[in-house]
Amino acid sequence: MTDRSATVAAGDGGRLVVDGRPVAFRPGDSVAVAMLREGLVPGRGGTICLAGDCGNCLAQVDGVAYVRTCQTAARAGLSVVGHPSEGLPDLPVVRATAATSSPLAREIEVARREVDVAIVGGGSAGLEAAETAERSGRTVLVLDAGAGDEVVAIYAGPMLVVRTRAGMLHVHAHEIVVATGAAEIHPVAPGSGLRGLVTARAAERLQAAGVSLGAAVAVGTPPEGVAATPASGRPVRFEGKEGRVRAVVTVDAASGAETTTPADTVVLGLGCAPRDLLARMAGEVPLSVVGAAAEEAPLPPPPTEGVVCPCMGTTVADLEAAWDKGFQELELLKRSSQACLGTCQGGACLSHVRSWIAARTGEVPAPFTARPASRQITLAEAAADAYVDAFRRTPLHDEHLALGARMDRFGNWWRPWHYGDPIAEYWAVREGVSLGDVSTLGKLVVSGPDVVEALERLYPCHVADIKPGRSRYALLLNERGHVMDDGMILRESETRFVLSFTSGGAANAEMWVRDWIETWGLRVHVLDRTMSLGAINVTGPLAGELLRRAGLADQPRFLGHVHADIAEVPSHVMRLSFTGEAAFELHHPVDRSVELWRALMDLGADLGIRPHGLQALFGLRLEKGHVIVGMDTELDTTPRRIGLDWAVRMEKPAFIGRAALERTAKLDDHRRWMGFTMDGVAPTEGSPIWADGEIVGNVTGSWTSPLLGKALVLGWQRRTPVRDRVEIDGREAAVSPTPFYDPEGHRARA
Amino acid sequence: MAVVSEYTDTLLPIRWPDERRSSYDVVIVGGGGHGLSTAYHLATRQGITNVAVLEADYIASGNTGRNTTIIRANYGIPEAIRFYQHSLEMYQRLEDETGAAILHQTKGIVWLAHTEMAMRTERARCLMNTANGAQTFMRTPAELKELIPELDLTGGGRYPVLGGSHHVEGATARHDRVAWAYASGASQRGVDIFQHTPVTGLLRDGDRVVGVETADGPFAAGTVLSAVGGRVTEMTAHAGVRLPVRTHPLHAFVTNDYAQGFSPIVASTELMCYVSQTERGQMLIGAEFDAQPSYSRQSSFAALRSYSYKITRLLPFLRDLRILRTWAGICDISADFSPILGFTGVDGFLVTTGWGTWGFKAIPAGGEAMAELIATGRPPALIAPFALDRFRRDHVLADQGSAGTR
Repeated sequence: MTDRSATVAAGDGGRLVVDGRPVAFRPGDSVAVAMLREGLVPGRGGTICLAGDCGNCLAQVDGVAYVRTCQTAARAGLSVVGHPSEGLPDLPVVRATAATSSPLAREIEVARREVDVAIVGGGSAGLEAAETAERSGRTVLVLDAGAGDEVVAIYAGPMLVVRTRAGMLHVHAHEIVVATGAAEIHPVAPGSGLRGLVTARAAERLQAAGVSLGAAVAVGTPPEGVAATPASGRPVRFEGKEGRVRAVVTVDAASGAETTTPADTVVLGLGCAPRDLLARMAGEVPLSVVGAAAEEAPLPPPPTEGVVCPCMGTTVADLEAAWDKGFQELELLKRSSQACLGTCQGGACLSHVRSWIAARTGEVPAPFTARPASRQITLAEAAADAYVDAFRRTPLHDEHLALGARMDRFGNWWRPWHYGDPIAEYWAVREGVSLGDVSTLGKLVVSGPDVVEALERLYPCHVADIKPGRSRYALLLNERGHVMDDGMILRESETRFVLSFTSGGAANAEMWVRDWIETWGLRVHVLDRTMSLGAINVTGPLAGELLRRAGLADQPRFLGHVHADIAEVPSHVMRLSFTGEAAFELHHPVDRSVELWRALMDLGADLGIRPHGLQALFGLRLEKGHVIVGMDTELDTTPRRIGLDWAVRMEKPAFIGRAALERTAKLDDHRRWMGFTMDGVAPTEGSPIWADGEIVGNVTGSWTSPLLGKALVLGWQRRTPVRDRVEIDGREAAVSPTPFYDPEGHRARA
Repeated sequence: MAVVSEYTDTLLPIRWPDERRSSYDVVIVGGGGHGLSTAYHLATRQGITNVAVLEADYIASGNTGRNTTIIRANYGIPEAIRFYQHSLEMYQRLEDETGAAILHQTKGIVWLAHTEMAMRTERARCLMNTANGAQTFMRTPAELKELIPELDLTGGGRYPVLGGSHHVEGATARHDRVAWAYASGASQRGVDIFQHTPVTGLLRDGDRVVGVETADGPFAAGTVLSAVGGRVTEMTAHAGVRLPVRTHPLHAFVTNDYAQGFSPIVASTELMCYVSQTERGQMLIGAEFDAQPSYSRQSSFAALRSYSYKITRLLPFLRDLRILRTWAGICDISADFSPILGFTGVDGFLVTTGWGTWGFKAIPAGGEAMAELIATGRPPALIAPFALDRFRRDHVLADQGSAGTR
């Protein structure tokens, strides 16, 4: 047995492992008490309070640094490693991915409780408050740090976040009582960082735990029931050797005479300050503070020398230097000297700093607002039970995977980026037939007696003259006349329409439509079918042939739409085109999507059918010069800036955005989105567009067209006059009318 | 011999006024970074020292002391890139210029992309940055892993890292020390800084603003500049100026201190969170502002949980670090996410606002430009595009490429 720590870790009950050494403990011991019993002082020195108020007993426990060993129950096999004696702990090394790959941080349990009264602190004031509340029939939860329930913070709600021995506890309380008691004052004097200093209460606890204090000397109020030699007067210096205290020097207030008393342990009864961090944190949350936490206590005498803030190492000299440079109030002094900014958030030093300021100004400054965390938690503990961002999947997700698709997230949906060969996918659309999964499109059914009126107000185009069975491309504008979304308006009957929206804009468009209809008080029923309908786009010169095979004999002409069974699946067939080729969008119940997709793939096998992903689709649309709202547009894109003025009918008396468009039409406006062509490969999307050594715009879309044999670009020019020739990627580019491909639209109508 | 820490020893003295002058050429409302930097640049560049800065609380108590101290210029539009690059370069020289230790560290910033669309955004950012003088380059996942060994390229199995942009001059500096450096430089040259002096109204002479009202009495002024952060709309309402600004809370937190070992700054636009290691050694984590407008500075557990979850997907080593402190600030977010600087349409009343969550990085350039505008009456070219009237002209500066992580 040469590796002792390994043996202990394997389950030698009743022992901790401290810096690789086994340390026995007794039931009820904290790590700090167990260490002290063995003669090991936790932390890097300074007064030990055993009450969780300071940062003097910190260690790395089970891989987590900055753990207060006095608040950590000893447990068999627990690994305790001291912080380095100089400098700071190292950042932990990277853990294996496997340990963190779970989207939910499930390894930390989160429990929730709702109670009438949550009481923080299990001392006499807390228990009294608990009894009173219980007598009046209310449910009560007492949270006592000593019993392992550490309150991290109080948040609006109110909600208390608590670390327990089992994990995290979120307490929803109707009333909060803070009964956290008082913290003992730490000494500020040269040598206060030596080992062997304990507070009076800590001495009592150690005595009760059977820990020997050696030759103990009591300064100030002596501990009860602890054998200690009293040393009268105020402690002015601690003397020691090798980091351990050997004597305390006290001074008599009257005579000024110093007395040196040799000691193994100095027990300090220097009074108390309210333990009011949580009370000062609550802010807007109503709570009551009872017991010692609420009581004004006399401040310690102003410190004159030594370390004031043990966490940050701030000395009295630092306070003086900062003060003399103008940092003459608590908030500025704290930030400039770093006092109160350490692990204990001022627990050990705030009363000293306040006293020091009071001595200078004659006024005692109010303590500063506290911020979470009171008791610290790790990021994992904070993240426990976090909600995962959910991404939507279409009903055809598994089909895409089976076809070898590389999936990517787009508009909060998982979508096929490509199926291995985007260029082949492109050619399938241009020369054969291809399927695209467009289930992600927004789909609203709107109906009712006022539906035409509502749509005329919502959209900038005419709606009333759309005949049943026909459709129209439409922009959706906001009140500023800026393009929010685009899509189709399909009329089903006099009082019933289907509206489509972009995948990314659908959720917002649905809210928009509902809100406005409600605002206007119009009688229109809105049904969101985005998730209940799948949609497959059948596109390419052979799309008509494929649909004939699938049972669609009477095919709607361009911009027409019919209801028909396609491969026995009831579908709303819409004759549109985004790709530039003939296209039929088949909207159908999601539970039939897979069946419909497979049937079309089978029927089209001899036509060379293959599905296309987003990458090919972006190229196809680019050849047609179609705008993609969000990718090509900006926050303030008006229709005329993207050449879509024709989609706005200013002769209409009222529609959302009309007043703004009327106003901005008169402004000097020189932003235009347009097409460019250039030789060679397409420049990177986002490239600056230059003219005369100046940046005049940027590329929003680009594509090396396999069919046209050149680079096609869509992008902005923001300077007047608009240049005919510009420079992109160090090459010349010429402004070109769009569409680049089939400008008359013969193929889409074919 | 009492030893003073380097941190305190390197502070520069701030002079506080004994009394108020009968009138000031310029009264600046708001003793944060922008107000103090404007005062400093009025004194050092424009020779205008009859200046008062009025701070409602203590200096740098607002967003200047609450932001996440990141200095960068990796914006998406030329106007913003040029302005912030100038500010970034001013920061690089600030210690030399003022003699103050602001603990400036150039460490680079990496913005990670988890989707093809995010890759498109980052590529565009690199091209537009380099074209406008900012140094930002695409990195492959392998290069990112070399730069940030702690990075989990699978993003916790959920946010795979497809690549990222590396803004090599990205930096950090200690926020309140920047404000103090300007406060010291301005006050030593005669600028009066009044703390705990909230402005309650504006003094008018006809249509012109001629001073401010405070609880301690009026301050007459030739020019009044609102450099208020948070609640700016309340301030400008005194002059009848409506701003396209909403105020939202933003949260951040730090862990305890660790030995230096994490560089560069890492951000994800999609996850809307970022992390850096402070000069003290804390891991500093910030994220997106709350969707709900509010003036509350209360910390929110929902934000803490969400930020912790997101950042540990990318950097699992953070899981076991303990959180020292969380806090919140309130941010003035303009309708196009770009700042609003300059004239308000009311004579004698200027504004610098809309800094959103990114005002810290703009402190040197924003103050320098506002000082020039006040002194000359003409907006310098660097800030001319950021004038308030751009909203009326329908010519906003939407920087969607940078709208994610601010």
